[in-house]
Amino acid sequence: MTKRIRSKIARGSAELAILALLAEQSLYGFEISKRIEERTGGVLHFTLASLYPMLYELEKRGWIAGRWEANQAGRDRRYYCLTPTGKKELVPLRREWNFFFQALDCLAGVTNA
Amino acid sequence: MPDWSAVVRDRLLLLDLPAKERQEVVTELAAHLEDLYEEEMRKGLSEPEARENVTSELVRWRKLARDIHSAKLTEGIMNARTRQLWLPGLVSLATSMFFLMILIQISMQPRYLGRSPLQMVLLPWLALLPLCGAGGAYLSRRGGGYRWTRLAAGLFPTILLFVLCSILVVTHLLVPAQPRLWYGSLAVALGIVLPTASLLLGSLPFLRSRGHETRSVIS
Repeated sequence: MTKRIRSKIARGSAELAILALLAEQSLYGFEISKRIEERTGGVLHFTLASLYPMLYELEKRGWIAGRWEANQAGRDRRYYCLTPTGKKELVPLRREWNFFFQALDCLAGVTNA
Repeated sequence: MPDWSAVVRDRLLLLDLPAKERQEVVTELAAHLEDLYEEEMRKGLSEPEARENVTSELVRWRKLARDIHSAKLTEGIMNARTRQLWLPGLVSLATSMFFLMILIQISMQPRYLGRSPLQMVLLPWLALLPLCGAGGAYLSRRGGGYRWTRLAAGLFPTILLFVLCSILVVTHLLVPAQPRLWYGSLAVALGIVLPTASLLLGSLPFLRSRGHETRSVIS
């Protein structure tokens, strides 16, 4: 049970992280993992095995869309962008996580830890 | 620089997707490894060190193939359990029962009436069962099933028979005054062994992984 909850939390937070990044600009897989790592100070780290199944899952749901484009070095990379559906989904997702953290803070005082 | 496309292609042999989609996944993952490798080199690592760091991403390929497969697959009315176990298992069961029924029908033809059921039904059925086991295990593998799921799908007919037999045995223990039931359940229990072996024979080729997706060292 604990493992399932942890897994769901990790999955949910990964979805939020990816959608929030793609709301700012289109990125390809490697850039997404680098940005997340940089901006969370290395707390969140995506490996190849954790990132791509998640991207494909979000793409299947229609929240993000991928297309092949040349990057700055002229190499073809698959850039992902947020779709209108993804933008809609991001709003309640952010709100849910906000509630979740507030609730956790009330209970465990995690903000001042 | 290592040929990352070849590395990924080699390890994702298990990934069961349409050719174009599969190629796209291979290209994308190879590009990721290529970027990672170049970044490691930019940090000042030597080529073997960079390669080793990238290699650390290359573990659990079988799981990755399964995760990508299930992420890409449009589930529709079938979930993973149905695709990997129930449907292949039912195919194995249905084909085994179909063969048995046909063999019984043939043995009842007037010209075969003098022959023994062992010769006319049981032995030909045992000879056909590997096909049923192979069908079940193949469909389960195609659906992305684990090795044990593939095995269960291949042996589904005898697993079901075993469950029924166990119910008979338990019934006998609860109602001891039925000697026929006891002998009947014992006979069925013994009859499970040979069909299981036969189904297993057909399932075996599909229990192995395709290719070398578990290798962790890049040559």
